[in-house]
Amino acid sequence: MREVVTVQVGGFANFIGSHFWNFQDELLGLAGDPDTESALSNHGLNMDVLYRTGETPEGVLTYTPRLLSVNYRGSLGSMSSYGTLYNQNPELLSPVATWKGDISTQRSQPYERNLFLRSLYEEEQKQSVSIDSKRQANSQDETQDKDIVDCLENGVQYWTDFSKVHYHPQSLYELNGLWADEEKFNNYGMGKDVFAESFQGEEMAERLRFFIEECDHVQGIQYVVDDSGGFSSVAVDFLQNIADEYTNTPVLLYTVRSPDSFMNPRNKKRNISQDLHNSVSFAKLSSFCKLIVPVGLPFLGGSKASMHLRVNDEKPYHCSAVYAAALHSLSLPFRMDLLGPTSSSISNSGALDFNSLLQMLSGDARQNMVAILDATLPAPTIEEPAVESFLSKLQPLTPEISEDMEDVHSVESLVIHGALGPGERRASVSKIQQAIDAAYEQSSFRPRFCHLSAARCPLPIPLPFPSIFSANVGNRGQLLSSPGSNSSSKGSLDVHSIPMAARLRSSSAVLPFLSNRLENLRKFGVQRGALGGELLKNWGFEKEELEDMSESLASMVKALDPYTDVSSDSD
Amino acid sequence: MSLRVLNPNAEVLNKSEALRMNINAAKGLQDVLKSNLGPKGTIKMLVGGAGDIKLTKDGNTLLKEMQIQNPTAIMIARTAVAQDDISGDGTTSTVIFIGELMKQSDRYIDEGMHPRVLVDGFEIAKRATLQFLEKFKTPVVMGDEPDKEILKMVARTTLRTKLYEALADQLTEIIVNGVLCIRKPQEPIDLFMVEIMHMRHKFDVDTRLVEGLVLDHGSRHPDMKRRAENCYILTCNVSLEYEKSEINAGFFYSNAEQREGMIAAERRSVDERVRKIIELKNKVCAGTENNFVIINQKGIDPPSLDMLAKEGIVALRRAKRRNMERLVLACGGEAVNSVDDLTPDVLGWAGLVYEHVLGEEKYTFVENVRNPHSCTILIKGPNDHTIAQIKDAVRDGLRAVKNTLEDEAVILGAGAFEVAARQHLVNDVMKTVQGRAQLGVEAFADALLVIPKTLAENAGLDTQDVIISLKGEHDRGNVVGLNQHTGEPIDPQMEGIFDNYAVKRQILNSGPVIASQLLLVDEVIRAGRNMRKPT
Repeated sequence: MREVVTVQVGGFANFIGSHFWNFQDELLGLAGDPDTESALSNHGLNMDVLYRTGETPEGVLTYTPRLLSVNYRGSLGSMSSYGTLYNQNPELLSPVATWKGDISTQRSQPYERNLFLRSLYEEEQKQSVSIDSKRQANSQDETQDKDIVDCLENGVQYWTDFSKVHYHPQSLYELNGLWADEEKFNNYGMGKDVFAESFQGEEMAERLRFFIEECDHVQGIQYVVDDSGGFSSVAVDFLQNIADEYTNTPVLLYTVRSPDSFMNPRNKKRNISQDLHNSVSFAKLSSFCKLIVPVGLPFLGGSKASMHLRVNDEKPYHCSAVYAAALHSLSLPFRMDLLGPTSSSISNSGALDFNSLLQMLSGDARQNMVAILDATLPAPTIEEPAVESFLSKLQPLTPEISEDMEDVHSVESLVIHGALGPGERRASVSKIQQAIDAAYEQSSFRPRFCHLSAARCPLPIPLPFPSIFSANVGNRGQLLSSPGSNSSSKGSLDVHSIPMAARLRSSSAVLPFLSNRLENLRKFGVQRGALGGELLKNWGFEKEELEDMSESLASMVKALDPYTDVSSDSD
Repeated sequence: MSLRVLNPNAEVLNKSEALRMNINAAKGLQDVLKSNLGPKGTIKMLVGGAGDIKLTKDGNTLLKEMQIQNPTAIMIARTAVAQDDISGDGTTSTVIFIGELMKQSDRYIDEGMHPRVLVDGFEIAKRATLQFLEKFKTPVVMGDEPDKEILKMVARTTLRTKLYEALADQLTEIIVNGVLCIRKPQEPIDLFMVEIMHMRHKFDVDTRLVEGLVLDHGSRHPDMKRRAENCYILTCNVSLEYEKSEINAGFFYSNAEQREGMIAAERRSVDERVRKIIELKNKVCAGTENNFVIINQKGIDPPSLDMLAKEGIVALRRAKRRNMERLVLACGGEAVNSVDDLTPDVLGWAGLVYEHVLGEEKYTFVENVRNPHSCTILIKGPNDHTIAQIKDAVRDGLRAVKNTLEDEAVILGAGAFEVAARQHLVNDVMKTVQGRAQLGVEAFADALLVIPKTLAENAGLDTQDVIISLKGEHDRGNVVGLNQHTGEPIDPQMEGIFDNYAVKRQILNSGPVIASQLLLVDEVIRAGRNMRKPT
């Protein structure tokens, strides 16, 4: 077994995670379902990589994600931090057993479960009562599903509002009250003591250990962090702890941002603080992982990546779905069976483990550890004449990169799954391989190395997925030439699955991202009399540490572009 | 006002408004925490929006649970929480003391007195009280054989404010023995060497002290023994799993055989490490019934587990880093980082190692050890919030015992110190102070009484009567505290009610500093949000 343990830290990371686990849950639900197309029901993916088997104290078997989610108190909305499986109704069981004197109870206003969560709950109750009455309620269900979609579209506040997954009690960790507005928890300095405070770091490390101890052979840690604010430094402290404890376990780090984290009131002081935060948080995070993938565009809705999407940038619920889909695609190779070079499987090809992927992208001569994430959803059909354009449909989800830089040394790992072939039939794995080989042959520019993973299984669209598809997307994710008269956006009721492709790319196109961070750190932090010197001191950085950071950023730039002059100009 | 020019939305509170805001915030926080204090206080059950329960009688925990927004309240809360970090207890006392200092000041300020004068008085009073504390404390000698009785009394005093009496008394014994177990002469006490482990099981009186260690995981092989007697314990930090990261990834091999070859080579080196451990086992256990247990901080993969199981070795993987230290202290031997260091000398010993399974949770008990310097307090409780509350109380109890050992002194409790200090300030110190700063000293002195007053109030007694009779006794030269059942004065020494010296000193140090800062605020400026809104 090659288990992957996932860590999600911070607000937007958990939004993405919620969609991510919804996809997994949908796949689990569809497995073996005779009414579903075989690409989905027989996906051939090993779900045990991401999931663990357990047992409640009552002896009920459970199957829950190997996940540690960290967020601040109150971010779980109506979900209990014990999850939904293990503690049925704690209040009923428990008079106060430790105190004979007075008891005062303070009850917060209970969070109301939204329509979606209520329907999940009812469904579960129904299942335990009787299984037969499934058919009769079909038409009624449809109208209800529409209400559910509408309700989520308008009313998602917490990531738990649209989650249909059962979590293990060890999975959901809430940090103590931060005694500040969320809005103020927006820079590196705000989070710097959180990890060390009152055993919180220890508790997080303990919970992670719980998941890792039971792994026979953990292949790596998939770590998603919302690095737009104070959670960066919480994540850095935690990563440091992980690097000490699990030295040889590779960490794949996604730093994610929602578009609204870019929409800050623009005045100069805020800007410097923001720029410094970006530099510092990137420099620190990158020092404790094997590969770092910055994800999150300032304007996702208008970007090329959402050509067939209608994403509302103001809704984290929308944006996180796009990024989660990409993360899902990238996680597929880790779950395919590792086969010998000669044998092949009909549903998957191109299995990779964490280590191979990270080595491939970051371990070769250049030692570039920053990768760009590109994706296309839905992926275009694989048809002979237009095949070359397939590659150009992959658009970046990583910000601040140069668009048309061609880097002959670049290395790519491409994952395509559920692609449709001619006549909208599901393309076979070998077809996909041939098509992509051809695409690279024809392409005017070729990377130095490309690894392809292909799967027949498309991305399933679960009910709580937002309505972000434009009208020309068909129910299997094909692009319709004549969109229906209805011009509004489509969601999970109309689109059941989509073909997808996502790619990690180690390329010098990421240079602007790096040099911006380097320059800002030098300009505002390291130079004598820099404007942000005081601020950085408050965040707990000494001059020496800052110099080290800018040194390591400079060496990252240099690795990609040996000819620029990045020698420190501060002296 | 230049700020107005820069940011027309900024809100500015002038001096008296600012002061009013600070005083109200301090009082508000005091009101929330007041009912916590003492063995007659009220326990709080907090039910979150999603039904999560938190049970606490500890000011520190309560403050952390609250979503405090008011900037003044945040300042006070931070001080109080820092108090807990430094001395382990006294959060509630700090908050209500600060609140009371503000309340007393309020009276004088209403009469037109300048806060500066009060603050000067506070400073004088604080110094005098700290000096008085030095005289008042009861020294206890903590030589090689500490006085267990006094330690128990201190622990009991704290615990009885958090848990009901019978449970508190039971834990007292456990906690004192725990600390004495890990204490080494001439070395600072590291409380981390007392592991606190919990099990969701039965009722809370089952909590016990395990001389040895309880680990929250078990072996991962079906053939390994669940119970073993007379065990050699190998504590190690050696990877017994095949890690590909040590060689380069598969893309750079020229052919499949080469790849297979490298994998096999790597596997061999893991097997080699396992074999070395087995060799050691055979060496020490040959011809005896003794067993061999490995507790490894790194991973052990299934092939390695197989090899070990075949030899009758019990192996645990991914132990907590701290448990490496604890194991060595409990069982003896040394923690080993490489198989090259394996000799019989590095092995520890335990009379009994057994596994206990509860649902998906496994526990491994390492018991019957010789001369342990590390131990485990095993808390059992019916549900998570009860366990959490007992855990908090145990932590406080451990700190109290540790403080006593380090302070080599205790303070008479039940409000005795506060009344004595107040009488000292009013009767002796005030005379020596010139001018109006006297009033600051008086305010400070009266504020001290908030501790016995609150104790009386929480016990449902008449605070005036209680204070008058306590003051009277003290003026007659009897150092007495409050009997919370009857309201009569009692001798804390006789009743065995002792507080920590370090805690009291810390409260006296930090409380007046914050109160003074809050009193001297001239202007509160906040841009963006309305702060007059009640929070």
